Amino acid sequence: MSRLVGKSPALCTDLPLENSDILNKLHLLGQLLRSCFGPSGRLKHIHNNIGGQVVTTSTSSVLLPAIYSSTPFLNLILASIRNHVSRLGDCGLFAAILCVTLIEKVKQSGLRQNEAIRINKHLLGLCTTYLEDKECGCKVKLDFSSSHNLIKLVRNILCSKPATMLREYETLHISKLAVEAFLLTVPSNSNGVVTLGMTVIVPIEGLPVMESKVFPGLLVDVPVGFEDLEPRNQPCSPLRVVLFSTSLAGHLSEIGDGPIEVQYGTDMDSQILDQLLEIGKQVFKDNVKICVCQKVIHPVLQQFLRSHGVIVVERVGINLMQPLVQLTGAQPLATLHSTIPHKAYGQVGNVTLRQFGSKSMLHLYPAEESVICTTVLCHRNETILNELKVACQKTEHVLRLTLREPFALLGGGCTETHLAAYIRHQVRCDAAGSASVFGCLQTEYLLGVEAFCSSLESVAAALQHDSEDSLIDLTCAHHWTLPKDVTQEDMESCERKCGCGLIKMSQTKKWCHLNTKYPVFSPASLSPDVTVHADVLDSFTAKLNALQVAIETVNVVLDIRYTIQDVN
Amino acid sequence: LSKVGSKHVLQTVCALEAVILRTFGPEGGQVLFTRDNGHSMLSRSGTRILTALRLDHPLARMMVECVWKHSGKTGDGSKSFILLVASLLRTIYTAASKDPNGSQVYNSREAAASAAARRLADQMLAFALEKLDDLIALSVTPYGLNLSAEVLTASAQSSSNSDGVHVETLLASFFRTRLGCAHCDFMGELVCKMLRHWSRKNDECSPSDKIGSFQRSSFLNDNFPALHTPLSGFPVTCSRLIEGQIIHRDYATHYHGNHQHPVKAVVFTMSLQPKWLNAGDMLEIGSGPHGKSIMHFSAWAESSLEHIFATLKTLGVSLLLSAVKQSEAVLTLATRAEMCVVECVDEDELALFLHLSGVTAVSDYRGIRPGHIASLAFCRPMLLGAHRYVHVGYPDSKGTQPCSVIICGLGEGQTDQYAGAVQDVIRTLRTTWEPLGASVISPGCVIPAGGTFEFLLHHALLQHGRSQQIIINLRILRLEYIFKKKKKRWDRWQKSLRKLRNAHHTPLRNIPQVDWERVSAVIECKRCSEVHLYVNNHVRKLSNSSEKRCSLLSTTSVNVAIVLPAQPHLRWTDAKWNRVLWSDESTFQLVLGSCGHCVLQAKEENNHLESYRSNVQKP
Repeated sequence: MSRLVGKSPALCTDLPLENSDILNKLHLLGQLLRSCFGPSGRLKHIHNNIGGQVVTTSTSSVLLPAIYSSTPFLNLILASIRNHVSRLGDCGLFAAILCVTLIEKVKQSGLRQNEAIRINKHLLGLCTTYLEDKECGCKVKLDFSSSHNLIKLVRNILCSKPATMLREYETLHISKLAVEAFLLTVPSNSNGVVTLGMTVIVPIEGLPVMESKVFPGLLVDVPVGFEDLEPRNQPCSPLRVVLFSTSLAGHLSEIGDGPIEVQYGTDMDSQILDQLLEIGKQVFKDNVKICVCQKVIHPVLQQFLRSHGVIVVERVGINLMQPLVQLTGAQPLATLHSTIPHKAYGQVGNVTLRQFGSKSMLHLYPAEESVICTTVLCHRNETILNELKVACQKTEHVLRLTLREPFALLGGGCTETHLAAYIRHQVRCDAAGSASVFGCLQTEYLLGVEAFCSSLESVAAALQHDSEDSLIDLTCAHHWTLPKDVTQEDMESCERKCGCGLIKMSQTKKWCHLNTKYPVFSPASLSPDVTVHADVLDSFTAKLNALQVAIETVNVVLDIRYTIQDVN
Repeated sequence: LSKVGSKHVLQTVCALEAVILRTFGPEGGQVLFTRDNGHSMLSRSGTRILTALRLDHPLARMMVECVWKHSGKTGDGSKSFILLVASLLRTIYTAASKDPNGSQVYNSREAAASAAARRLADQMLAFALEKLDDLIALSVTPYGLNLSAEVLTASAQSSSNSDGVHVETLLASFFRTRLGCAHCDFMGELVCKMLRHWSRKNDECSPSDKIGSFQRSSFLNDNFPALHTPLSGFPVTCSRLIEGQIIHRDYATHYHGNHQHPVKAVVFTMSLQPKWLNAGDMLEIGSGPHGKSIMHFSAWAESSLEHIFATLKTLGVSLLLSAVKQSEAVLTLATRAEMCVVECVDEDELALFLHLSGVTAVSDYRGIRPGHIASLAFCRPMLLGAHRYVHVGYPDSKGTQPCSVIICGLGEGQTDQYAGAVQDVIRTLRTTWEPLGASVISPGCVIPAGGTFEFLLHHALLQHGRSQQIIINLRILRLEYIFKKKKKRWDRWQKSLRKLRNAHHTPLRNIPQVDWERVSAVIECKRCSEVHLYVNNHVRKLSNSSEKRCSLLSTTSVNVAIVLPAQPHLRWTDAKWNRVLWSDESTFQLVLGSCGHCVLQAKEENNHLESYRSNVQKP
């Protein structure tokens, strides 16, 4: 059955940014993303049009891949944010909202596109230089001697994922676990190159969150008929482990495809099986206690090994092989004939059986200090467990990034407002000079700056979903949220804190609503010893990259003059 | 037949021009493509835009083909090519329609105009072939500047040569028109640094030597796929050079991190443990003292493998690079011998590796000699984005400093765009330095951009007293322009002009045995835009007699002919097809269920013995 399919001509759009349909879609996308942002963000149900699994989420890494637009223009934006999220793990929504808002603001300001691109690039340069500067007022140096800041960093990531449905104390518990798991993967004695270990996440459905735990070593599924492992109470000498990466089921994969003539009365299978049993004998003779195979082990061999007291674990899969090698120090074997040298064996400290609800798993302890650990995550149902798993993977990623750059940024929208105030101040100093460099009028330049700063501020304002006001104070330029009916006197008397929890109400005198005109001032930075007390922290590396990616995406989008869509 | 001419040619070319114009010059923008598989592509490169268009019109396809060939050689100039052709055609047709001479001879005004146009085009072609070179040499070359390669040498940082133009300026202006104003300086510097790194290799000969520069840029151009690594998800400014070479594969064995120094590496192009039972051979298995067990053969294969590793161990090898996948047993033995294995390495990367390390690949594992063993400065894993690669460094000898480039971008579309631009700029440099035997233009000649070439030539032509005005779109505002590239463009343009002339007129009359009246009758009844031209005769549907005609045609110099699109004529009989000469459909899409592996098997064959393979699973 064949049919010829005619090709239809491509769909062309000239000057897509002038197209009102596309602008409407862009606006809609902005609203969608803004509604998910922050700790009080609204959840989204995602399901496809033919039924199937329903996902509840507000996380960028789940949400963005699910959004597909028929407009290539929007897909370009989504794709670049997706790439950012897959590399850095965090701040996806921040980048997306900033990007969409800035495009809209530039469009509204009526700037020519090439000028807007140049101005954006210049302002981005100002931002990155300021953020990387030591004197930066919205940066906190992370102190690895105490885990407080790390826990705060993780907790902020978990808090901004409302779909995980964690209570306050549960969030703290998971944050502690995440930091503990991270610390376990960092080798304590390293010479030269540091190789981080890895955390294996085992999700378990139906148990309360507080049952989640971190174990050093690995948890593997218990082989069938092995639930009655006797607990070894006192840790004895390490157990010897052998690791096979080839199938021990009797395949000979490397033969080739020629014909084989078998004489009458010869059983080829039993010949192979004899060889397998030879291996079994050697393994037993060498006092091996655990035999792990990536693929399948022949049942006869399994039976033989078990009867000699060897724990047999088969079908562990390729994903667990790398951590198993790191944990045990064994060399994976794939030869059937040569005798196994002693150095090919690995070691585990102990083996116990662990019970999680109805699921039991075999726990392999490391023999010495190891960089492999397992996090068991428990939650009430599958949907929120998936969300929690994604959040935990993000925290691991973000914590690893802190090793490269041990900084964090103030969260709660304070970094955004602070940056905006800083840029307004910087620009006022030499507006005329910069404008002449770009070859544009000073008013045009100021328009570009206004678009940039107000989109940064509106990202901060997007954290607010209920009927509350977003404010900026006029000394440190931090972000504040207040209920609608609060008067100036109330503000001075009550004990509220700013978005990141660094400043108290009593410390500042003047506020102004976000996205209204306020006098340009130089935002004061607090002394370094005070900054330690910030409650909400964001990853520095992720946010810096998000900022760069967002602005660069805006520049690419502004540069597009023509779209051609192949609709076949 | 005359309908194929004038209006439609112009319409087609103008349609292409409309797409190109949006991206032309420094103030131009990008074009965003979405393919049918959902991948998006960003581009400002004329060639990429044109080749990505799905064009129906045969003339348009032919134009794109010309552009593609041109820029494949020079790396640049595709947009100006289209603009030049468009404005030339426009001028010719305007001039022709005013031409009063032909009206007595021809029946209609159209025929007269078309004849006049052809005459004009002929004259122009003749002029271009005979006099243009001299004219360019006389009146444009003196304004050209010499491209100095001096900046590429490590020492000459200062601009000692003031009348030469530095490569940096050229690169920056190229990137400005290709990537936009945001990152042109950054990319220009990056490529400059890259060239500087590679140029140290030829330190012995004169650094500004043009032949050397040409060879170097040729080498970079040829090996560029292996020399760059795209990395999406980061801003462009994270792009950087990196010492040595990146092999775009991960270790197949666990990396233990303790290579000896220097790291000794061997390249294999075949599997170390080949399948030992070929289809032609027969393996006899028996039991008892006479027959041999299957394990006997298996053990023999394994021991020969161990023998290879023993040889490698005595040679001190600790890294195996393989072009193919190796068996699990090879990995085990390599781990045991503390060697690292990298499998399935790309052919280009292996070729570059062999070139840079100066060794040969092992093709027969029985004869591994010291000549096969490369020594490297280091070899370590490298994490780039989601991938883990192997990063190798070469020992510092003869001032060689091989380096590769990591190109960052927001997404795949952007990294592709940037990589394409870098390769094109290298190609452009190669063209600039290419030595030409008897040409009037010396290698390395560049001319200020921004329409200078066009102005100069225009002026020279006016001086020359010819009336054909080459009216060129003067929206060009490039800063630097390569002179010789323009020269090439001229040549290409001449060729395409020749083709166009053939297409819209009737050179086919000379061909014997073709019933032209019938063909033209078929054509007349269709709209002209549906008349397709075709160069290769791919079409199966052509029956014997028409195949004969095709072969006849191909023996004559003309390789353009006409046929109807095939799709509405699926049910045509052979007799009907005999009346047709060609079809333009070069690709037929046959949809057979879902793509992928499929087994063709009748239902009752399900449980046939031959459908089974004997394997030991669970007894």
